[in-house]
Amino acid sequence: MTNPSMPIGAPLPGPAAGGGLDQPAVTESAAEVHVATKLEETAGPGEKEVLRVEDLTVSFPTDDGLVRAVRGVSYAVHEREVLGIVGESGSGKSVSSMAVMGLLPKSARIAGKILYRGDDLLKKSAKQQRALRGKKIAMIFQDPMTALNPVYSIGDQLAEAVLSHEIMPRKKALARAEEMLALVGIPQPNRRLDNYPHEFSGGMRQRAMIAMAVINNPDVIIADEPTTALDVTVQAQILETLVQVKDQVNAAIVLITHDLGVVAGMAHRVLVMYAGKPVEIAETDRVFYQPRMPYTAGLLGSIPSLEGNGAGSRLRPIVGTPPSLINMPTGCPFSPRCPLATGICREVEPPLAPTDELGHVAACHHWDKLAEVDDPTVFFRTESEAV
Amino acid sequence: MLVFIVRRVIISFFILLAATFVMYLLTANSGNPLGDLQESRAPNREALIEARIRLLNLDTPAPLRYFIWLKGAAGCLVPFALECDLGQSIQGQDVSALLGVAFTQTLQLVVAATVLAMILGITVGIVTALRQYSGLDYTVTFSAFLFFSLPIFWVAVLLKEYGAIRFNDWLADPTVPITVAVVLGAISALFWMIVIAGDRNRRITTFVAAFVASAGALWLLSETQWFADPGLGVVVIAVTAVGLAFLTTAVVAGFTYRNVLYSALASAAVGIVCHFALGPVLDDPSSLTILLLALVTVGVGVGIGYALGGLQRRQAIQAAVFTGLGTGALLFLDRLLGAWDSYSDRVNGRVIATIGARTPNFEGTFWEEGLDRATHLVLPTIAIVLISFATYTRYTRSSMLEVLNQDYVRTARSKGLAERGVIVKHAFRNAMIPITTLMAFDFAGVLSGAVITENVFGWTGLGRLFTDSLRAVDPNPVMGFFLIAGTAAVVFNMLADIAYAFLDPRIRLS
Amino acid sequence: MSNPTTPDPGPVPAADAATDAQGMTVVARTQAQMVRRRFFRHRAAMGGLIALVLIVLLAFSSIGFASVPGWWDKDYFSIATVENGGRPTLSVVPTWLGGSGMHLGEHPFGQDNVGKDYFALTMRGVQQSLTIAFIVGLVGTVIGTLIGATAGYFRGRIEAVLMRFTDVMITIPLLVVAAVLGRRYGDSGIVVLGLVIGLVTWTGLARLVRGEFLSLREKEFVEAARAAGTSARRIIVKHMLPNIVGVIIVAATLAIAAAILLEAALSFLGFGVQDPDTSLGKLISTYQTAFSTRPWLFWFPGVFIIAIALSVNFIGDGLRDAFDPRQNRVRD
Repeated sequence: MTNPSMPIGAPLPGPAAGGGLDQPAVTESAAEVHVATKLEETAGPGEKEVLRVEDLTVSFPTDDGLVRAVRGVSYAVHEREVLGIVGESGSGKSVSSMAVMGLLPKSARIAGKILYRGDDLLKKSAKQQRALRGKKIAMIFQDPMTALNPVYSIGDQLAEAVLSHEIMPRKKALARAEEMLALVGIPQPNRRLDNYPHEFSGGMRQRAMIAMAVINNPDVIIADEPTTALDVTVQAQILETLVQVKDQVNAAIVLITHDLGVVAGMAHRVLVMYAGKPVEIAETDRVFYQPRMPYTAGLLGSIPSLEGNGAGSRLRPIVGTPPSLINMPTGCPFSPRCPLATGICREVEPPLAPTDELGHVAACHHWDKLAEVDDPTVFFRTESEAV
Repeated sequence: MLVFIVRRVIISFFILLAATFVMYLLTANSGNPLGDLQESRAPNREALIEARIRLLNLDTPAPLRYFIWLKGAAGCLVPFALECDLGQSIQGQDVSALLGVAFTQTLQLVVAATVLAMILGITVGIVTALRQYSGLDYTVTFSAFLFFSLPIFWVAVLLKEYGAIRFNDWLADPTVPITVAVVLGAISALFWMIVIAGDRNRRITTFVAAFVASAGALWLLSETQWFADPGLGVVVIAVTAVGLAFLTTAVVAGFTYRNVLYSALASAAVGIVCHFALGPVLDDPSSLTILLLALVTVGVGVGIGYALGGLQRRQAIQAAVFTGLGTGALLFLDRLLGAWDSYSDRVNGRVIATIGARTPNFEGTFWEEGLDRATHLVLPTIAIVLISFATYTRYTRSSMLEVLNQDYVRTARSKGLAERGVIVKHAFRNAMIPITTLMAFDFAGVLSGAVITENVFGWTGLGRLFTDSLRAVDPNPVMGFFLIAGTAAVVFNMLADIAYAFLDPRIRLS
Repeated sequence: MSNPTTPDPGPVPAADAATDAQGMTVVARTQAQMVRRRFFRHRAAMGGLIALVLIVLLAFSSIGFASVPGWWDKDYFSIATVENGGRPTLSVVPTWLGGSGMHLGEHPFGQDNVGKDYFALTMRGVQQSLTIAFIVGLVGTVIGTLIGATAGYFRGRIEAVLMRFTDVMITIPLLVVAAVLGRRYGDSGIVVLGLVIGLVTWTGLARLVRGEFLSLREKEFVEAARAAGTSARRIIVKHMLPNIVGVIIVAATLAIAAAILLEAALSFLGFGVQDPDTSLGKLISTYQTAFSTRPWLFWFPGVFIIAIALSVNFIGDGLRDAFDPRQNRVRD
């Protein structure tokens, strides 16, 4: 569970400044996606909460001890909102979303509340959970190469998503599948229905996965690293498709990624996770320009940037590795790697607390120190730079 | 695809050719075919030796002699135009004729057993994979290891002693003492407790219920002298058929949409009606009648499924056909058991046979003859199933576990597909890809597996022909056996490749 | 510990201190240690190992082997008077349980029909069966590895020839070819018998090793070794074989288990070990008809075959689990 090095570093050019999506789509047919009307009111988040997670904890018993993968996550997603969840591998971001989907293995111990429109999913029967899964809450996975079953045609697998929730003639379900393939920008969807996954490129497969996720008009789409496994050129197209499709079906998105660049252009709000806990939640712009948790600042410092200003063009990595989830050290889990850490950090784990702006919470004893400087990444300067 | 198959056929042909050459040399080298004559004291010894040398072309060196053999064997490729000449045995019999007789016996012996072992093994393998690390899993794993560590001939001897000799003795006065009923009931209760699992309360309930049911049933059967004249009776058939309807529905469609269940139940009902309606037809039918009835059953099943299936017509047809065939099999079994009493009298109470494929010179009704074959098949079938089912269990289990960990299974769940669909459609279909290869290999190997089984159970099939001829240094029948076994191996390996391509679209198109 | 995305890591002063400060319990283990640890945790495999060691010790120490004498005072060929119908004198039920106490007696496993001590005979059978199985397993593994490695490494024409040859050999059912060879070499002693059977049992492993080699040879470290001008022999032996040693060991173990049963089957059919020597399969074959009158003649060798095959199978399973890194995952 301890990953020695974290692959942070956004391949998208200049996203920190604001928006990978501003890049024009390069090739393929992403530009042709016929999103006929982009209604004004579908663009922004609504008032109503669709998904609320309260104090979620997940742990796995293993031979070496209890792995505490998620240690108390709370967040809310509103209608049509895009919530970004950022963290490195092992931070618990994927596990918490699998818990929302009800896809964790039986051995997982789950506590807390997962409320879909006010109903606690954890209290529902397996059957009731299944009825929501894929219907109201859908998921897109990281690796489109392995997420589709190699022995069934694309049309078959899409139609199955419809037929899982509604008994209808197969033909009707296939027609719906074709419609969805067209929506995600796959040319000649009629012919493509009979294709097998291996006949699709990586980008096309991820489009098909998106089509599968939205085919039942869900309220929430959980996208777990949807672009990580793809070529850089395709990543932007997929994100653009995702946003357009979301607006079409009026869904909220929980976008899970280790890549701040992906979040920058899409998310309304961002939740940063570290060692199984959220350490900062804020509007996207605040996270990028006024982070109040040194870990977030450290992440920003490790993004390569084109518009470098002298020493700033240098990458500033966070040294060290995330802590073991089996034997969590006392105090702030980030303290061993934190340049701001003091005595208290090693003894008391800071709770999520309000900072200098409404709705911006961070788990740091010293968030005010970050508020004092212009460039929060400055604390992560390496020694050679400082000289 | 066609090019692929043609290429595969050509390669297979040459491989078989090379294998026969290797085998011919090995066989020629295995002993001295003149040994028995050279030691004999017959007055015409020299003449006999001379005759055998001419019969087997022993004056030609073995590698050249192979081509003489090959020339005759080549005739077998063109069934009617050329003569299939596989040489003669040292007794002067035509090998191709010997093989023909032996082959049918061997097929009877191995086909049913192998298919049964596959079905059982795969089912148990899937269940244990779904319940990994459960009591059932551990029990099955241990049994599987035990079974494939058993020498089949050793099992066979035990089976003969306890399954036939002592069982037949017991049949003379078939009562189950109350203590035995209790012990057997406890064993069965333990079995069901492990299978059903669950929490403590459920385990205890299962144990008690299974114990009462099993011990009670045994006691009842014993009191009513059921073992002396067994049969199923219409109640048992009806209950089992309805259960079968629910089972097939659960596997092919689930119960959310009722039309599939209705089709299966209708199919079962038709079957039960036939139990009464077909009475006289089934008194002494021919094999053809049975075959026709099976076809009619399939037809009726398709019809019922089509009519009642509604939106899930395909699943309904499947459920109706399988339920229909299952009910048919129950009726068949009932009739077969109906012949038990008269059959038992005719074989002096030695119902379960230990030796041979059938009772010599036995003639009777269709059911009596059928029962005769069945009772001869019971022991060898159990022996073969015990040994080879273990392999399937292990293989299926690991294949299923591998597949269940794949991303696409998670995707299927994330769509909201019911667990049944996840397992049957996504996991099982992919898990079957490697298992198909194993099945093909296994079918290729059953002929050689028959070598031991036939020797233990005294069947005069191919395996027996092989060992007897090898012992007597009689090369031509040995080669004849190998020609069949080798061809089977090559053909089934080829079928495995083709099946693989058929099951996996990634290979199909490349 | 430094971040790989850093173009110039520079001095990373606090790295080690940071790791220590976290109090992380990352125990560095070598591959071999991991394998050993997993194997020793595998209860069935450990049980199998202990049982096998005990059986081997019992068989070789009791009646001795070659010219080394054993502690048992009877041998497996001397004919004696049959006492008490040849019934076994072994008793394992203690007196306080109503048995006749725990003792071996004169003939613990009884006597056969001419009065030979059946314990000594069974031990001789165990020795012979184990020896043959071991030779078969060893020869088959060595040949299979050689052929598979050569085919997988060199590819091209060499591969084509070797693999077609394997295809040809695989077409001949093992029991059939073993029986034909056994018919010829059965009376040449167990070593020869083991060798010739080993000569035909390598096909499965050859395919397996070839498959592993085909994927290994594409790996960077092999490319690197080749680019550095390392000889083919050295790449195979030093770089590639160590990577699949697990696969080979597991296959070899399972091959030995299969060979035990194969030898038993051959001897049962009469194409294995020949008189005056004996093996477990031959004992069962000889006394199968005596089952209803003197069942011990049938039970003892059978129990030993099963115990050996089961132990070796469990050891193989434990080894497979130990070598398979996938087993290291969180149980899910």
